[in-house]
Amino acid sequence: MSATPAALGADTRDQDRAVPFFRAARAVFDLSLEGMVWSRRSLLMILLLGLPAPLALLFRIFITRLPSRVSGFDFYGIVIAFYYVRNALPLAALFYATALIADEVEGKTITYLLTRPIQRVSVLAGKFAAYLVTTLALALPAVVLTFFLLTTIRGWSGIGSQVPDLFRDMGAVALTLVTYGAFFTLMGVLLRRPVIPGLLFLFVWELLANAPGYLPRFTITAYLRSLIHHRPPDEGMAEIFAQVLPTALCLEAVGAMIVVFLAGAAWIFSTREYVLDQ
Amino acid sequence: MTATLEYVRASRWYGPVIALNDVTTTVGPGVTGLLGPNGAGKSTFLKLAAGQLAPSQGEVRVLGKAAWGSPELFHRVGVCPETDAFWEGLTGLQFLMALLRLTGFDDAECRRRADHALEQVALAEARDRKIGGYSKGMRQRIKMAQSLAHEPQVLLLDEPLSGMDPVNRRRTVDLVKKLGREGRTVLVSSHILHEVEAMTRRVLLIHNGRILAEGDVREIRDLMDEHPHTVALRARDPRALARAVVGAPHVLSLTFGAEGEWVTVQTARPDEFYSAVVDAAVEAGVSEMYSPDENLESVFKYLVAR
Repeated sequence: MSATPAALGADTRDQDRAVPFFRAARAVFDLSLEGMVWSRRSLLMILLLGLPAPLALLFRIFITRLPSRVSGFDFYGIVIAFYYVRNALPLAALFYATALIADEVEGKTITYLLTRPIQRVSVLAGKFAAYLVTTLALALPAVVLTFFLLTTIRGWSGIGSQVPDLFRDMGAVALTLVTYGAFFTLMGVLLRRPVIPGLLFLFVWELLANAPGYLPRFTITAYLRSLIHHRPPDEGMAEIFAQVLPTALCLEAVGAMIVVFLAGAAWIFSTREYVLDQ
Repeated sequence: MTATLEYVRASRWYGPVIALNDVTTTVGPGVTGLLGPNGAGKSTFLKLAAGQLAPSQGEVRVLGKAAWGSPELFHRVGVCPETDAFWEGLTGLQFLMALLRLTGFDDAECRRRADHALEQVALAEARDRKIGGYSKGMRQRIKMAQSLAHEPQVLLLDEPLSGMDPVNRRRTVDLVKKLGREGRTVLVSSHILHEVEAMTRRVLLIHNGRILAEGDVREIRDLMDEHPHTVALRARDPRALARAVVGAPHVLSLTFGAEGEWVTVQTARPDEFYSAVVDAAVEAGVSEMYSPDENLESVFKYLVAR
């Protein structure tokens, strides 16, 4: 065969091995990130994940007097536990993570990724990383803004003692995105049309988190909401938080779920054929 | 001939449908045409070599390794898929750079190789335009560029000339021939006999999932001459195109399409027609040209009946 043209550099690649995992995953990440950030899906997610911030601003402007028993911090707790961890973040994970591979299959661009010297697991890793960066970039600023808008309604005094809660909540937000992202990535490679089953999982199955006994342990949300440490003071609000599981158990369960879901998704994606319609 | 691609009793079925049926053949360096009508099994044949499908039975080996489950092969294999699919928001350069990164090159080398590939397919001037704004022919060429940018030893090209205008069709044919002369193994599928003939004399004839014949394209060409050959052309000025070709002795009939831009020509001698149409194409602004495959079907029917 002819030599490499003079204009090109020497080919120093080890052609007997696939491109190293992290290098390949990084290349997939770079390729995927821009498309994910500037997608129509992201516009919708900006609205979904950013919504509490403008609402908090309106709340701050128009609700001038709060009942003495309820603080802005309590409202912030509801936003984190009920809006973000229970609803908005799982929905964001559903719409992004089920599409990680499905978009490439539907767009028929999967062929370009599968005919490169890379392990398929690095494709999944790069895309999952792009999903996480995109959703965290959308969710975390809104969480921080909501925190400051709501917790400073009565002034800035005492804010210092609440900041550690903010960091814990940001960790819980990240864990929620990772856990549900892993779960929906698995669904996305397992099912041809995962959105409806995903919605049923979120809004039917996950209701078990409010059931008594051991049933909440069969949900994802029970572990994640237990990681939210601060609780509203009165019982009326407390009931939406239902059972609180031990933090160590939650972290172990969430860690195990992430590993199992991602490993399952990687295995399925690595062994599946993608036959595209012409 | 050293076998680069080996099919050993390879079959592939999708549920109850047999797409490839007990195929044993080899392909070596140089250009080989994979010729067959739509649905004959060409794409399955290529996808098995490209590691996109696993054989249901038998083996498919590329450069001595099983094609399925050997991603490292793609250091030395380039694939030009048939599907017209892209990340539309990327420019031609970004598209090639991204895929070269996935092939293991550093950024500087990616840039050099992307530029070189863009020049090879005459898209250097369009490198910074988004692929979403490319014409059909440009999209075919950027797809071709991504398959050869990493200088692979084996190229699998699925209908690479589809939708190209005559000038770029000729340019791409020349490029494929050059790649073959360089000693690369180029397997190029088409349902148009004339296209394959322009690139190589070595063909695999595939029909109903079986290799019907292997050998010299001229033998098939002789059969083809007994059948009128249909060519559809899309032109900015279809009447100018018609005026330019209608008097030629090899043109049997000419019809205008309902949409106004298309002209369909029946010719007895495709060689002469394709040579003659290049000059007229520039003047009439021909942007697309293809040959419906009914004629090839008739050749296959004829071959099967013999």
